[in-house]
Amino acid sequence: MDIIAVRNLVVGYGALQILRDLNFSIPASEITAVVGTSGCGKSTLLKTLAGLLPPLEGDVFFRAERVDYVSEASLAALYRGIGVLYQDGALLNNLSLFDNVALPVRMQHPDMPETVIREMVHDRLAQVGLLEGAGKFPAELSGGMRKRGALARALVLDPAVVLCDEPSGGLDPITSGHLDDLLLSLRDAFRTTFVVVTHELRSIEKVADRILVLYDGRLHFSGGRAEVMSSDDPYIRTFFLRKVEHDDA
Amino acid sequence: MDESDLEVVSLPRKLRAPDVPGAFKEIQARREEGPVAVDFGEVEDFDSSALALLSHLRGCAPDVRVINVGEKLGRSFEVFLGGTPPATCAVDEEDLPTRVLHSFSNRFLTQMRRLGKFFVLLGDELYHTASYLRKRRGVYPGEIWNQVFFMGYKSFPITCLLIFLVGVTIALTSAAQLKLYGADIYLADLIGYGMLRELVPLMLGVILAGKVGAAVAAELSTMTVLEEVDALKTMGVVPERFLMVPRLIAITLAVPLLVALADAVGIAGGIIVARMSLAILPSSFLREMFTVVDLGDFFIGLGKSVVFGWAVIVGSGYKGLTVGRSAGEVGRATTESVVLSVSLIILIDCIFALILY
Repeated sequence: MDIIAVRNLVVGYGALQILRDLNFSIPASEITAVVGTSGCGKSTLLKTLAGLLPPLEGDVFFRAERVDYVSEASLAALYRGIGVLYQDGALLNNLSLFDNVALPVRMQHPDMPETVIREMVHDRLAQVGLLEGAGKFPAELSGGMRKRGALARALVLDPAVVLCDEPSGGLDPITSGHLDDLLLSLRDAFRTTFVVVTHELRSIEKVADRILVLYDGRLHFSGGRAEVMSSDDPYIRTFFLRKVEHDDA
Repeated sequence: MDESDLEVVSLPRKLRAPDVPGAFKEIQARREEGPVAVDFGEVEDFDSSALALLSHLRGCAPDVRVINVGEKLGRSFEVFLGGTPPATCAVDEEDLPTRVLHSFSNRFLTQMRRLGKFFVLLGDELYHTASYLRKRRGVYPGEIWNQVFFMGYKSFPITCLLIFLVGVTIALTSAAQLKLYGADIYLADLIGYGMLRELVPLMLGVILAGKVGAAVAAELSTMTVLEEVDALKTMGVVPERFLMVPRLIAITLAVPLLVALADAVGIAGGIIVARMSLAILPSSFLREMFTVVDLGDFFIGLGKSVVFGWAVIVGSGYKGLTVGRSAGEVGRATTESVVLSVSLIILIDCIFALILY
């Protein structure tokens, strides 16, 4: 079953079109990697899926409901169903890690008893291995810890979909590997759908069930991991093998 | 058109950054007379500026034809710029008055759009504040008191010091003039009336713009640049409510305390000068002052200060939340927020003056 569907999507700023005529679906309970060269529109796509950047044309459907980017109710329904992991975590600097993770619960469920909130936050922090750092402020955390903290915040209300913008970006291979394992275990345990924008080939090979390849603002290829990896398409081979193949080669 | 019909511009053997402007000028001068052929046959010693010139000239066809590109230059071009389409050969056809007019109209429209956004934010804030006061939701618990502490308690020492000095300065300059006419005692009226109704609100507004407004703009713009504002949105939180309402409520609570203290220290400055330079007793000063000043003047000053405080918060919030995405924008937004806040304060003060006097 598809949880997100994108139809004839055009996104841009003013006259500048960054994404053109995109059509694809994101299946539920799978990890979909969005890949492509820098500037091809991956992060723009993520912003549109997150409800932050309205399309110039076309539609985004979340759980078969069209997202209306000018309707507060429609966006609120979208936000209830998604969590977003930003590139640098985007934890609020004036709140402790605990309060950052508790923030979505406190804001969306103001009547929730504090003891329940504490349990929810501790559970999530334990899942990402950060229970010890609950009282610390973002400035006191390493890059990897900030990302894991941000993932705990994105997951605290059990969203159906988590959108991740370069989760491994800037992390060492070991921390990056742990984060990949975490995504896989969350997918398996909670049937969470992940849309991951990434450049990390190892990460893609490890976690991606499906891969969307963007090129110059258009969907160049989409398919299962094995399908993409065995593709003869020159751009995909160049991207995944990091080898430029000339026509005469 | 055959190549033999074209005016040929031969480029020198050495075509590096220092040589390119001269070559470009010559090509442009010849182009004004008609189509030209640019001969790269001699070029052997070149750098990336020569490649850029070649790329530019490729986009100038049919006015310019590039000929005799050597193998070395051609290969370098293919490697470094081969994949890029030729840049369009922009010809500036607009005359100076038209360009000036376009520039003015663009700036005017940009300012109008900004003004529109500012009023939208102002309307949003009024709505969100009213909504919060009714439902008590959408604001982080305890944030209002954090902001009251920052805006009130942390601003109190600098406010008192500056207003005291303003009181002393005004009293000193006025005392010398009043003494000439034997009207020494009227210094009390001048200080009391001026401080309560005009100087304290205005100075407090300027201090808040510099201290609180700059801090708000810097904080919000940093949050915008670091995607924290986006993160709030995707958590279902309305940033205009979450970030701005606590600050608006906090300034409304903090300003009356600051005004009361500032009025007291400003008048104290006047009393000290009156005692020292005009030998007026504090009791006489206060007795005379209360013959012209009453509680209404205090409340007028208080009301003005609260409105100035709102102007500071909305102006700084507007600058902070509409910032771009680069770190450099934070500094720009902070500076602009102070300018905007002070401008708003003076504009609003002028409107108050028109209404009250």
